Amino acid sequence: MSTKASRTAARLMISPAVLLLLGWMIVPLAMTLYFSFLRYNLLMPGMESWAGFENYRYFFTDPAFWPAMRNTLVLVGGVLMITTIGGILVALLLDQPFWGQNIVRLLVLAPFFVMPTVSALVWKNMFMNPVNGIFAYLARVLGLQPYDFLTQAPLASIIGIVSWQWLPFASLILLTALQSLNSEQMEAAEMDGAGPLSRFWFITLPHLARAITVVILIQTIFLLSIFAEILVTTNGGPGTASTNLTFLVYMQSLLQFDVGLGSAGGVVAIILANIVAIFLMRMIGKNLDA
Amino acid sequence: MARAASTRRKAATTLIAWTVGLLIFFPIFWTVLTSFKPEAQAIAMPPRLWNFDWTLENYTAVQERSNYFRHFWNSVIISVGSTLIGLIIAIPAAWSMAFVPGRGTRNILMWMLSTKMLPAVGVLVPIYLLARDTGLLDSRILLVGVLTMINLPIIVWMLYTYFREIPGEILEAARMDGATLRSEILYVLTPMAVPGIASTLLLNVILAWNEAFWTLNLTAARSAPLTAFIASYSSPEGLFYAKLSAASTMAIAPILILGWFSQKQLVRGLTFGAVK
Repeated sequence: MSTKASRTAARLMISPAVLLLLGWMIVPLAMTLYFSFLRYNLLMPGMESWAGFENYRYFFTDPAFWPAMRNTLVLVGGVLMITTIGGILVALLLDQPFWGQNIVRLLVLAPFFVMPTVSALVWKNMFMNPVNGIFAYLARVLGLQPYDFLTQAPLASIIGIVSWQWLPFASLILLTALQSLNSEQMEAAEMDGAGPLSRFWFITLPHLARAITVVILIQTIFLLSIFAEILVTTNGGPGTASTNLTFLVYMQSLLQFDVGLGSAGGVVAIILANIVAIFLMRMIGKNLDA
Repeated sequence: MARAASTRRKAATTLIAWTVGLLIFFPIFWTVLTSFKPEAQAIAMPPRLWNFDWTLENYTAVQERSNYFRHFWNSVIISVGSTLIGLIIAIPAAWSMAFVPGRGTRNILMWMLSTKMLPAVGVLVPIYLLARDTGLLDSRILLVGVLTMINLPIIVWMLYTYFREIPGEILEAARMDGATLRSEILYVLTPMAVPGIASTLLLNVILAWNEAFWTLNLTAARSAPLTAFIASYSSPEGLFYAKLSAASTMAIAPILILGWFSQKQLVRGLTFGAVK
């Protein structure tokens, strides 16, 4: 069908994108891998030497490593749970007929477009601040002690902030999926006497399964590398209470200048992300055939 | 009877939906409102919803304190620049994969997507060192380059899903009529592809505008875009709520408006066509 000439032209047109991405991927990856086997600190230039698996051993035995792993999983898991369940509820709500649908949809979507540093600082100062924040005010009105969110429950607070940012994304995608639900099927079920709960459980939820999977997988990719929100609110602290894997690697490489150790951490982060990626790729790959 | 019940139901849904919507939107509303308050009233307890003295002083203060427009301009150059360069590289690639698919097309697409899964922190050290050694640290060129590469897979994918919907028969007809590859692209494909390209552009400007890993790690005072500039308010001096709000309002307003226009494309773009 396509001529030989057009196929050559096609290859020429793909090649810049492919070559650039290939370079972008291979060069830094190879460097990270290489550095991870070196004793290499930016404060001691010219002292690089082969270290074998020493950096990995240090990384895994670093007292911050297990807390960071745990925090990464809690952060990702917590946000996923809140945004998925919240997203389903919001999507179901917005799918009902009501006045001002378009405006409410815009209101719900808005937080997704707020840059991470802005939303983190606004929540930190104007809401969660134990003296001047709105939550402190509400607590006082209710006769409670103001709570210092980011000191006493740093990880939970960050989960809250990040969930606020990602709830719109989940809601929007689930709403889009809901709108393609076959209404005849719904009406038939209703006539057969299926209550709203069983209709949700047996018709709506299976219909949403694919969209929910997509939401979970795509958010996981982004949530594994949460960084700005931690940097501007808690700086990973107190102690390591809100340090995730991304933040730990950042501290080791750009604050402690330990390139070797940071690179070993980077390799670990890559492996972790790849495990998630395999599932995501399968999902999207299937769609490509459909 | 039935109609009255459904009207009542609609009214109840309206009430709940608006409450939920306003609650979710409240932090943004509050930020915008606070940006118009004098600093002392911005932290006043109880919080002031209306009884404050409207002022624009925060906006001028933010500009004077740190040359706000320089950072704003950095954001514009970095997000628009990286998107445009990405489009120039991606359009031919997506075009040929959509219309002249070969045996390897599927694999190339999946592989491009997989580069997106590479966590940024995994390549932070080499990129940082390369930037330092080439003297590009804290330059806009560096960020345009990095963000182009970060978003290139999304751009290719979005364009691909749009291009694939253009009927191939039209192209064949044009070819039969003796159209060359060049005129085929110029007169047949481009007009049909413009809406898809525009949506891709919009979504990518938004993503690049809000990117906050590379912008925070690779810039300092000179080329910092708004993401990094706002982060400087995490260690403030004195009263700063109103100034933070003013800076934030200006940082999110343009992208919020763009975002509202692109909500349909958002789903498609961010799910790589898996949900439409």
